[in-house]
Amino acid sequence: MKVCVLLRLVPDLVEELEISENEVVPFQYIPNERDEHAIEEAIVLKEKLKDVTLDVVGIADPDSADEIDEGLGFAAAKGADKLYKVILNRQTFSRVEIAKALADFLNDRGYSLILTGVQAIDSFAGSLGGALARFLNLPYIGGAVELNLNEKLYVKKELEGGISAEYRLPLPAVVGVLSAERPLSFVPFTKLRQAMKRAEIEEVELEVPKISGVELVRYETPPEPDVLMLEGDVEEVADRIVEVLRDISVI
Amino acid sequence: MKVLVVGETVNGEVQNITYELVSCAKKLGDYVTLIMNDADVSSIDGRVIKVNAGEPNPVYYKIVERVIELEKPDLIVFGNTSIGVDLSSQLSTNFPIATRVYNVKSSKNLKEVEVRSMAYGGKVVVVLKLRLPAIVVINAGSYDAGEGMGKASVEELELKYFDIDDVEFLRYIKPEVEDVDISKADVVVSVGRGIGDEANIELAEKLANLLDGVVAGSRPIVDQGWLPKTRQVGKSGKTVTGKLYIALGISGATEHTEGIKAKNVIAVNTDKSAPIFRISRFGAIADVTELLPVLIDKIREIREK
Repeated sequence: MKVCVLLRLVPDLVEELEISENEVVPFQYIPNERDEHAIEEAIVLKEKLKDVTLDVVGIADPDSADEIDEGLGFAAAKGADKLYKVILNRQTFSRVEIAKALADFLNDRGYSLILTGVQAIDSFAGSLGGALARFLNLPYIGGAVELNLNEKLYVKKELEGGISAEYRLPLPAVVGVLSAERPLSFVPFTKLRQAMKRAEIEEVELEVPKISGVELVRYETPPEPDVLMLEGDVEEVADRIVEVLRDISVI
Repeated sequence: MKVLVVGETVNGEVQNITYELVSCAKKLGDYVTLIMNDADVSSIDGRVIKVNAGEPNPVYYKIVERVIELEKPDLIVFGNTSIGVDLSSQLSTNFPIATRVYNVKSSKNLKEVEVRSMAYGGKVVVVLKLRLPAIVVINAGSYDAGEGMGKASVEELELKYFDIDDVEFLRYIKPEVEDVDISKADVVVSVGRGIGDEANIELAEKLANLLDGVVAGSRPIVDQGWLPKTRQVGKSGKTVTGKLYIALGISGATEHTEGIKAKNVIAVNTDKSAPIFRISRFGAIADVTELLPVLIDKIREIREK
């Protein structure tokens, strides 16, 4: 069975973002955490089923083309069999445009299962998985936290408020992964370095089609929060928190 | 403008997000709500189209598609929920879409809407214009659910010759057995990535014990296996409603803050631009691993007196 996981880059929110009216410039990009969970879940499937071939498709634009390599290296170190680096010919915020470009690339490659993270912090104009499924004419389910295969695909999907449900889908299918059924496995630096040395990454350029209807007016910094800041060094902050706890009768 | 609200049910019960969406739609013009379950819809304000399809299912986008053909709305609104995202994303190949939306404004020419989205973990507001007909996916907590409640005028719709069996709903899965119910705790000490290491959870437990509270966490902490799923606060976890929520090293993405309804929130984070401060009454810029031992000692001293 051929499984494909899509790996995107997102801005690293630990660092400052430069926000202007028409662009958001991150200090650096990191792999999308939910996509990392999709890779982990694919590795879990590989361990469960034995006959799984795993392709990981890293998605980047010309500005971030080099930064995807490390994410692909992690995937290789964890057990991915084949790596692709898809370079989109232009940046776009539209997930639907990216889905269309990817559908043209993924179509006819014989994947039984295409996994993607169910969300990315920088998505505000669509979600990749559902749009991709429609372009490929495949069934879709998102919010997956566990996958099992027994002729058909069994998906545990998280709903809201701690409630989950189980669904059954025929393959091929597209699944949006919320989290893997186990924590992300740790890759030691030496193993990553070896994997990156060994890894062969096939590079592909994709043209992103224009789909009209969504226009960016501007980016804005959110208004300052209405919060009382407890200033000072650690001792002073601790004292002020104690005062607050007294004021609200917790101590 | 005509708005189609795609309502939600779980286990045969209309979900609160449905009323919020109706509240949003009422501000924009005429509206009708679609419910795809045999739930009691009597308290949804206005016209309701009921298709008795079953439990929530991503493949019901086909039903929404059919109702769009019948009703010809200018705007289709979904909740930013697990099933809302499944449905809306599958329809986004045919309609312009904005997600993580918290505000929708119609234009005078009725050809477009302007929406505001909260993206980048709550650090950036994005203003978009969508050509109509379009889809908007709205964050929970953006509109007053009370305004969406009222008296329903229900129309049953039967869809014949309809193939919706490619994704099958099998069963609801009961939540794990809970050691404590964080939604009922008066004081919740909650940890995020800023706690740094699994071993530091013990510090949060010490603080919680001193305050007669419980320890909870954000999704990344639960994903790491540092806390059980039953302790997760947020959209797919529990909602906390007690007297105090202490957020330690939690950035405060919308998915997390949707679960915070406590009367008082104290947030501690090293990042002064962390969105958690926007929903907090008190905040402090500090490393929680340095602050916690000092704070614990001070409270312990008071308790021992």
